[in-house]
Amino acid sequence: MSRLLKFAASLPALLASFALFVLMVMTFCDVVLRSVFNAPIEVAADMTRLLMAIMVFSVLPVVSAKDGHICVDLTDGMFKRAGLTRWRNAFTDLFCGLMLVLPAMRVFDLAERSRSYGDVMEYLRLPLHYVGWFISIVTAITAAVLIIRGLGHIFAPKLMSPRHA
Amino acid sequence: LSAETVLKISSWLPPTHSVNTGIFANLITMMEEATGGEVSGELVFGLAPPPAQMDLVLDGAADMAIIFHGYQPGRFVGTKLIELPGYEGNAEDASVAYWRVYEKYLAALNEHRGVKVISLNTHGPGQIHSSKEVSSLADMNGLKTRIGGGVAGDVGSALGLIGINVPAPKVYETLESGAADAVAMNVGERVGFKLNEVAKYLYDMPGGLYRGSFAVIMSQEKFDSLPEDVQKALDEQVFGEPASRMAGASWDESDTIAYEATKNAEGTKITPASDDDIAKFEEISKEVTDKVLAELQEAGVDAKAAYEMVKQEMAGN
Amino acid sequence: MLEGLLGFAAVLVLVLLRVPIAFAMGFVGMIGFMIESGYRASISMTARLIIDTSQDYGLSVVPLFILMGLFVNKAGISRELYAASNAFLGHFRGGLAMATIVACGGFAAISGSSLATAATMSKVAMPEMRRFGYADKLSTASIAAGGTLGILIPPSVILVIYGLLTETSIGKLFVAGIIPGLLGVVLYLVAVQFTVWRDPEAGPAGERINLSGRLSALKDVWAVLLLFFLVIGGLYGVFDVPPINLSFSPTEAAGMGAMGAFLIALARRRLSLADALEALRETAMTAASLFAVLIGAWIFSNFVNIAGLPTALSDMVTAYNLPPWMVMGLILLIYIALGCVFESLSMLLLTVPIFFPVVTGLGYDPIWFGIIVVVVTEISLITPPVGLNVFVLRAVVGDVPTATIFKGVTPFWMVDIIRLIILLTLPGLVLLLPNQM
Ligand code: NA
Ligand code: NA
Repeated sequence: MSRLLKFAASLPALLASFALFVLMVMTFCDVVLRSVFNAPIEVAADMTRLLMAIMVFSVLPVVSAKDGHICVDLTDGMFKRAGLTRWRNAFTDLFCGLMLVLPAMRVFDLAERSRSYGDVMEYLRLPLHYVGWFISIVTAITAAVLIIRGLGHIFAPKLMSPRHA
Repeated sequence: LSAETVLKISSWLPPTHSVNTGIFANLITMMEEATGGEVSGELVFGLAPPPAQMDLVLDGAADMAIIFHGYQPGRFVGTKLIELPGYEGNAEDASVAYWRVYEKYLAALNEHRGVKVISLNTHGPGQIHSSKEVSSLADMNGLKTRIGGGVAGDVGSALGLIGINVPAPKVYETLESGAADAVAMNVGERVGFKLNEVAKYLYDMPGGLYRGSFAVIMSQEKFDSLPEDVQKALDEQVFGEPASRMAGASWDESDTIAYEATKNAEGTKITPASDDDIAKFEEISKEVTDKVLAELQEAGVDAKAAYEMVKQEMAGN
Repeated sequence: MLEGLLGFAAVLVLVLLRVPIAFAMGFVGMIGFMIESGYRASISMTARLIIDTSQDYGLSVVPLFILMGLFVNKAGISRELYAASNAFLGHFRGGLAMATIVACGGFAAISGSSLATAATMSKVAMPEMRRFGYADKLSTASIAAGGTLGILIPPSVILVIYGLLTETSIGKLFVAGIIPGLLGVVLYLVAVQFTVWRDPEAGPAGERINLSGRLSALKDVWAVLLLFFLVIGGLYGVFDVPPINLSFSPTEAAGMGAMGAFLIALARRRLSLADALEALRETAMTAASLFAVLIGAWIFSNFVNIAGLPTALSDMVTAYNLPPWMVMGLILLIYIALGCVFESLSMLLLTVPIFFPVVTGLGYDPIWFGIIVVVVTEISLITPPVGLNVFVLRAVVGDVPTATIFKGVTPFWMVDIIRLIILLTLPGLVLLLPNQM
């Protein structure tokens, strides 16, 4: 069971890795096909956009769960000495999580709007609102992860692993 | 002397681009004159990329913006009518015809729903700018060319161009590195994209291979919030045909400047299309036109009649 | 103007509370934009930037250059670079530190990021310098400083972002970074010598290696040369000759470099499936956190923009009729001051949209200004109190206090200031190579 959970937890990073690998191989093939055979991959630019969105957004919740965002840890010592680290962590996680709620909902609205206009990608013809839905859902998950972390600092500090710098 | 309302105009083009120094600058002057200085405007640069401009206006992050219809595939079909090759005349003629045919035929499609369309315009004829010499249509076969989608893309594939699909800001580096041999653009863009450095050859087809379609849009909410007399003055004296004519003329002016700059630049060459090529291109033009008109017909426009109207308007202007 | 400055202050406060930089800038930008344009406009602008930034074609180089560095690292190239530099320099006093600088310069030629360069080289060079009894202040400082070269010697993620922000040719920016980067290497060597001159105990000489040893060490660095040649040669169009006609844009160069590094690592049988997955995963995570910062910074800069800060600054310059050199001097002082506290990427994103129009309006060359901005950004990476490269070193090495590293790094950022002055007075050093393109 825990093994299954672990596998599930590694899925987003696997998806991101896959997208990145495809992006690399596709760029290479596009250049070679174009240079040598005068036959570029027509959908390459659309694919690049799509793969980037998949890569960035599938790991965003993981980055947030692991406290992987770029921070300035200048005042860490101060908070530690004052014994406030736990409350500071609760504040920053709740702050970030709550801040994402409205934009996540808005991304969904914009995706719906895009659907109503019938927007598609130029060459792939993929409806753009699928990408919007994906981004919206993942942003909402990220918000949830951060809020849960924040609550964890308040109500279950023992469960929270120590932060790494 | 300060205006009652200063409209926030979002622009995704560089501050020195003729859309800003020409179209928007003139539009602000026209609005100030029509309203006795009550309505003015100021430009805000780089708020969001081109496809986001309509959202900015819909949600009030900007009061006005210019959109390029080709950047939102799937959303605009009717606007392809004016992008077709084969019309004779400059951007001003085309823009006036565009507004008139819009009022009569295209507005019913309601493709700009949610915003107020205040000017429709096209840039000057789209031509091929290349780093190696192109002296005939036949030379275009196999030419790696950055070209837009829609009508331009259809024309490109009929000519045998190999499409290199990169965003506009990447044009210079793409040509410079040799990843593309050519770019399809209106001549006016030669200045801003520094094509005299990286695409010294200009193949000039009368009327162009295609035209690009733009709309200047305004927030309906913002417009409704203006006093009634101001609304009336803007609608009658500025918005619609006057603003479209002005915008077209501004595109023409940028073409004139760029032609001059190209002639004066070192090592550049302008090749006018031969009579043979013009005749050959007419066939391609017809194929593409038939295809696009069928699309329009399907969208619910009396395509044939609309097409004839544009031709007539442009001939009569 | 006032709102803009208050916004800066608010970001600073949040950042010091350890709110991630992306969220601090995004939040202040959102609130500020809300005050200027209303609730719906602000949330919508934020949402659009979240959607559009992640799908920006030009930004695809960011993950690909990071990936290239990681594959190169897996292929063991960083170790060989260090061994080769060491074979030639190790026997001098402070020689291992000098070898570190040179190896950092070499690694910079295939890595787009300063943090990656510092992190990579610290794993390789730190144990060696400890073995030879180098003082921690010199060993950590030479890696932290040498690492900054990662964003000046091409490829460079920071130059890519500068190019995107200002619509300046990325190829020319890359090529323009070469001479200032080499100058940086030379001046850092001087800084090492200065340190061991003040304190000879800090950097004892290592063992001398004979000629055959040197040559064999040198032949291991072919992979670095190959990759650098592939990326930079491609930008110059070196391969655009029959029968291959291989040509690619700077945006594509990142993909070519990453693929090249991947193939080299595979060919050397240094890359297991687990390694490859690890490199891909790490790149995706790094890229996601960078993109978050980019989105936050863009939201903030939209607020600053709509609050009229750039225009107010330009107007001020015009109103006081200051001579261009004085404006440039002021801008650089602001950069160095901001650089003390700001993270490099956010500093760039915050300031370039404001200063670039002013600077080009005064007639300065945009390519040259890009290099100057990167040099001050390099300085920001090692100046206290927030010097990210120093933090990277502390994190990787573990047992050296931040204060020690900052102390050791002082001569290095002082020679950086000298380099800045040289580049300010001799713009030709920057523009020589790009003008050949
Ligand atoms: Na580099
Ligand atoms: Na600093």
